[in-house]
Amino acid sequence: MSQPVSAISIKGLTKDFSVTLRGVKLRAVDALNLEVAEGQVYGLLGPNGSGKSTTIKIILGLLDATVGDVRVFGVPANQVEARRNVGYLPEAPYFYRYLSGRELVRFYARVCGVPKASLKARVDEVIAWVGLSGAADRRVGTYSKGMLQRIGLAQALVHDPKLIVLDEPTAGVDPVGSAEMCELIVKLKQQGKTVLITSHLLAQIEDVCDRVAILDRGKLIVEGSVLELVGQRDRQALIVDPLPAADLEALRGWLAARGHSLNSVEQPRARLDQLFLSKVSRPGRPGGGSGGVGSNEVPLDAKP
Amino acid sequence: MSVASVPFSFGRLGLIAGNTFLEAVRQKLFNFLLLLAVGLVASAQFFREFNFGSSELKFIADFGFGALIFFGSALTIATTAQLFFSEIENRTALTLLAKPLWRAEFVFGKFLGVFAVIGVFCALTIGLMIALLWHREGQLMVINPDDFANGRLIAYGDLLIVGLLQWLKFGVLTAIVLLIASFSNTNLFTVVTGFFVLVICHLQYLARDQWSNVDNVLLAGTVRVLSLVFPNFQLFNLADEIGQGAGVSGEVALRVAGYGVAYIAVIGGLAVYSFRNREI
Amino acid sequence: MRFDPAALRPFRTGAIVLLGLLGAGIALRPLEAPAWTEVRAKQPALRLDSLKDALGQGVTVGLLGGFRAIVADLFWIRTNALWEKYDLPGTQTSIKLVTAIDPRPLYFWLNGSRMIAYDMPNWRIDKAGGYDVVPDAAKRRFDEEQSSIAIKFLEGALGFHPENPLLVLEIGNIHLNRLKDVETASRYYLRASRHPDAPYYAARIYAELLRRLDRKRDAYDFLKSLHPTLPKNDEMAQARVVLDRIRELEGELSIPEDARYRE
Repeated sequence: MSQPVSAISIKGLTKDFSVTLRGVKLRAVDALNLEVAEGQVYGLLGPNGSGKSTTIKIILGLLDATVGDVRVFGVPANQVEARRNVGYLPEAPYFYRYLSGRELVRFYARVCGVPKASLKARVDEVIAWVGLSGAADRRVGTYSKGMLQRIGLAQALVHDPKLIVLDEPTAGVDPVGSAEMCELIVKLKQQGKTVLITSHLLAQIEDVCDRVAILDRGKLIVEGSVLELVGQRDRQALIVDPLPAADLEALRGWLAARGHSLNSVEQPRARLDQLFLSKVSRPGRPGGGSGGVGSNEVPLDAKP
Repeated sequence: MSVASVPFSFGRLGLIAGNTFLEAVRQKLFNFLLLLAVGLVASAQFFREFNFGSSELKFIADFGFGALIFFGSALTIATTAQLFFSEIENRTALTLLAKPLWRAEFVFGKFLGVFAVIGVFCALTIGLMIALLWHREGQLMVINPDDFANGRLIAYGDLLIVGLLQWLKFGVLTAIVLLIASFSNTNLFTVVTGFFVLVICHLQYLARDQWSNVDNVLLAGTVRVLSLVFPNFQLFNLADEIGQGAGVSGEVALRVAGYGVAYIAVIGGLAVYSFRNREI
Repeated sequence: MRFDPAALRPFRTGAIVLLGLLGAGIALRPLEAPAWTEVRAKQPALRLDSLKDALGQGVTVGLLGGFRAIVADLFWIRTNALWEKYDLPGTQTSIKLVTAIDPRPLYFWLNGSRMIAYDMPNWRIDKAGGYDVVPDAAKRRFDEEQSSIAIKFLEGALGFHPENPLLVLEIGNIHLNRLKDVETASRYYLRASRHPDAPYYAARIYAELLRRLDRKRDAYDFLKSLHPTLPKNDEMAQARVVLDRIRELEGELSIPEDARYRE
């Protein structure tokens, strides 16, 4: 039986940008090896200038590798064929302002060769899926940043790609928009899509990603599943009602009698973004339309 | 794993062209320049004040072609650069080129979109000029019948031919601006360089006139190479005598058209080559 | 320091683009050359030295870049504005500038020469005190001086439009109407009438001038040779009028019946 093909396979990738003729160059990516399996949500993390966007552009065939082999579903990334199964949402996109949301998605669908017979249904479906049915006939120029991200996601998904690449999908978007984008990513995973996502908002990545890689100055520093990387397997937290001092002492004694220790007692805090989301109104929540995974609502705080 | 290849598609090219066209005609710049050109052509009414007689037609034709050439050149350079860089700056080029789309389809789609916009501009300007000339010539034929003893003076078919040739010249200019944009980093650089190249293409014939008179072999060679590198835009300048009743030779028009089409293909191809090497 | 071949990539691309353009220039030359020869022949050389005082760099580039006709038109409109103000030196300079910019339209030459020869003497008389004050000798001198300038101007036009009958006729008209020199005028009318594109009236007026010079026999012989060449159906040719003149001259010259011209 043949090996299953990775959605993305990066072997020994180095990318240099020449700065001067004398050979001074900027190494944006340095000997990077990564495998992204099909069906995973994979986070690419790192500070600004760490090589995340360069890596993504090489995966998309927008830049050529200096050294190394990059494949998308087994096809070299610099070939047009490799992009058949890829949808891409760049960071803070501005689309053709004079088109309506529907016209925009329709344009991208036709570029991707969505058959004419199913074009209208597919466009309507994907617009509903990102929750923009109500605004589909408005010009994109009037959209908020969050809506731009969602229409951007719609154009990335319209040809039903197997791999979706999202570059800073929540950059510049308010917490409501960010949360909605995270919900959509989770739904994509549930549909069996592979998602490659870069973000510097680590809490969000942590919420949605199966695996993450951290880059610094073009080099891979850490790679692994989120649970492996941040889970503390030798610790547990119990959350209980407030205990009087006597009861707390009794508990400490009870634990000691069994060879355990109570390491800290803290007041648990809700995350500020969750507080924000519970307080502000969220009109037109996405995911309620036809198709997609609209019926399988996933709670915001669910861990993968 | 084998994946079906993605062949070059005129359908996708047409989609890019259609979108470019739509974007251009919805821009203020297009409407502004079109209004200016139409205004200038229409201002030919003003020549009645001077009582030029049948030569008034020459003035109308000169102003019409002047407006066409001047505003057409400005529109071609500004629109091509603007539409190209709006794709880069708004990152729509990234979303498009991350799709199964050839860079050649993108570049030639941009070309065809702008070429169609310029075509609309040329058609409206020339159409208005022809209408004005026809109307005024009819009036002058009544006022000065002696000047029109042999019928109408203006060769209207030739006006159309010259209009078409100007459109082709703007096509060559569009390809040149795309070539510059394919390696340039800014809209401003592209526009300024585009205007420089336009002036050089219009004036290169002067260098060609001079090279046999230059004694310095190195200088003569440089002048010769430069005059070969830049297309000769003066070749398209067939309009000056139409207003005086002179015609355009069919063979010359065909040769000029062939020259324009060939340059569009070559420079467009070079723009694709250069754009393929561009890191976005 | 180590040399980086990847850094040369943009230069390689640039070099290939330049080579491509050069190759296209060479390959397309045979297509372009015959058309260019014809187009170039219709664009007389710009005499920039005669324009340099009047033109800025922008206008010069415009002229060289193919906007000659419209620049000349604009200067012609300026000429008209000066003409309306009876500005003699301004109008005269402006007329010469227009024809230096674009010598192709006959309109500029013909109308310019008329301003110089017919309008300017009147301006000079007005400036010198008016018709009642200026002596006839001075009026005659103004006519002669302005006519001389206009004729020289039209002879310059013939350099661009060799033997153009309308220009030749215009010189003849100045001799006839301004200088009252019928003899010289007749020579110009004859010269014009020999051009294949000459208007029919050139030959008719030549014969009329011969009559005025009392060279009736010459006029009669000329009209006899002219009449058979005139198309009968062309109203402008006025073959009937020419025949009437022949008959009149036969009467005046007492030509015997049997020697008279037969159609």
